[in-house]
Amino acid sequence: MFDEKTLEETRKLAEEWQETCRRRYQDKDFNSTTSSGIPIKPIYSPLDIEHINYAQDIGMPGIYPYMRDNYAIHYQFQPWINQQTHGYGLPEHTRERMDLLAKAGMKGYFGGRAYNLVWDLPSYAGIDPDEPEAVGYHGKDGVSCVTDEDFERMLHDLDLTKMNIVLINADTIPIFAHFIAYADQKGVPRNKLRGNTMNWQFSAWWLPSMLWEPEGGLKLATDLIRFTCREMPDWNHTNFECHAISEMGANAVQQMAFGIATAMAVAGSCVKAGIDPDAFMPGMGFQIANCNDLFEYICMFRAWRRLWARIVHEKYGCKKASSMHLRVHSHTSCYELTKQQPLVNLIRTTLHALGAVFSGTTAMELPGYDEPIGIPTEEAAILSLRIQQVLLEEAGITKVTDPLAGSYYVESLTNTIEEEGKKILQQIEDMGGFMKALKSGWFVSQCRENALKWRREVDSGKKVVVGWNKYTVEEEEKIRPFRVDPEVARIAIERIKGYKAKRDQVKTDAALKNLVAAAERLDKGEYGVVMPAAIEAAKAKATCGEISKALKKVFQWGPQFSSQTDY
Amino acid sequence: MASNRRARVLMAKHILEGHDRGGKTVIRMLRDAGVEVIYIIYRVPEDIVTAAKQEDVDVIGLSFFSGGYLENVPRLIKLMEENNMKDVIVIVGGLIPDVDQPELLKMGVKGVFGPGCDLTRFMDLVKSHAESRV
Repeated sequence: MFDEKTLEETRKLAEEWQETCRRRYQDKDFNSTTSSGIPIKPIYSPLDIEHINYAQDIGMPGIYPYMRDNYAIHYQFQPWINQQTHGYGLPEHTRERMDLLAKAGMKGYFGGRAYNLVWDLPSYAGIDPDEPEAVGYHGKDGVSCVTDEDFERMLHDLDLTKMNIVLINADTIPIFAHFIAYADQKGVPRNKLRGNTMNWQFSAWWLPSMLWEPEGGLKLATDLIRFTCREMPDWNHTNFECHAISEMGANAVQQMAFGIATAMAVAGSCVKAGIDPDAFMPGMGFQIANCNDLFEYICMFRAWRRLWARIVHEKYGCKKASSMHLRVHSHTSCYELTKQQPLVNLIRTTLHALGAVFSGTTAMELPGYDEPIGIPTEEAAILSLRIQQVLLEEAGITKVTDPLAGSYYVESLTNTIEEEGKKILQQIEDMGGFMKALKSGWFVSQCRENALKWRREVDSGKKVVVGWNKYTVEEEEKIRPFRVDPEVARIAIERIKGYKAKRDQVKTDAALKNLVAAAERLDKGEYGVVMPAAIEAAKAKATCGEISKALKKVFQWGPQFSSQTDY
Repeated sequence: MASNRRARVLMAKHILEGHDRGGKTVIRMLRDAGVEVIYIIYRVPEDIVTAAKQEDVDVIGLSFFSGGYLENVPRLIKLMEENNMKDVIVIVGGLIPDVDQPELLKMGVKGVFGPGCDLTRFMDLVKSHAESRV
């Protein structure tokens, strides 16, 4: 990076600096570590990045390996998507929040609508509102929307071709099937639908109990991808929930490596299913956490973009830029927010979001400041959106792409994170691959150890959390927690019962039988058969719970297949 | 109780619940303090009662992140009464707004521990109850 003369001068200066330190601070040690334990020095210079090849390793935005940004021109042309999560109560309640946020300026790409909709926990697991497990959880932290009629209640007058809709749930196929059935009924061509399914199946890390057995879950995930690649090429089929890995306790390097390892497991399955990597890669996205160590998380994003582009190109032979791009939805840290002095969370989230902008994120989701108390109130939801708007419109930080590039510290740390991440990927390889590591509980135990260490450091005061273990005050909780309408459970149960009562049961039963047969074909290795059968079942008015149960006849589901419940 | 008997805690999380970082951290801390911890995932409160009786626990710990407590805790307490489990206490943790705490305590819950709580207070409650139980 530098000529010999510059380096020689720098070496002399570095010696002089060291001497100055010795004189002023004697033998005090000012070295420290990043939040993931990477050793760092108090100052960086050209000597730390002299070995970096600018053209190959740093390069320009929009050009392989895309470390600096996916796009040649990014925010100057097109800001990130405001992807604020919302959803609660009945579909019509969620619609109120959708309209409130849209009116407050929540935008998708090119001024389009963007709705990042979260389902309630029964729906997450393919459990209908009238089942006993649903008691206490109807519409509590997501929407209870389980039939095409519910989609009509939520979306009735909206143009499906002019929005980006994200369907957040774990048991993806039933809800996706009802969404497509609804769009078909509306006469909207499937290839005009834009949005994102989670397709977690076996990798909703934060939901330890409601997972498919990993091998079966991988088949279901691949089936959905086979289907969207055929019929909905612009649909983002899979979201890798790395934010959850971070929330569980993973550090920055682990978040990146575990996330990439998960994605590679799915990619490997798609290749085996005969899907062209350049067809399925563009639909993959990563939901990534920006946490407290501002620089480390920015460097993690840069390293992640470069590492992912290289893997996608070198290992999977992809040639399309959109395949090699790391599509990122920044979901900023929640575990670092506090119940104590909760307004301080607005400051924390602003810093996390600042990091996301410097990271070149493509979409942003910020928690409400009241998240440690419940789901966001209207006020908290709008304030989170306002953070995004202030960063975009006022802070002057979107004029230059990757503004921290060339910083001796940032480039050096970016490289170290990439190297450390590769070591973890190798370690997973050596354990026999992702599935083996997953089933052995290795990922979980790594995260748990960190979480425990973190809590012990907070308890001992070694790690400072403002308002919790330092600068504390006696306070009464002033925030009124958000509550869903108490009638939600009763109405949701009534509706699902009514839905079942008025349908043609013979038709429903036949469609569910076909779905079980399709699941059996998938289990034998035929991909892209379950999704169409699930859509037909949805059209025959099978509920999400019934579709899920048909799949559960063939594939195994439940806490017994999770690597996280063994404790 | 016999002095050589270790305190026994049943930690239970509903099958639809997630975000168990807090609950799992507490389990580790209890075990490190010599407490026997049994961890279950339950579908309905009946499952908790069955496990608690089977394992002869002193304390039932429930962790919630997404509501559910105002519906499931009273059901559990009623079932415990019906099963004559008066000497087992229930402790609740997780995302519980302060305004809901009096109601939980009124239902018969012996302690509510939310984010950033003092864990030594929690440990003391578990141990002192186990010691008082004959």
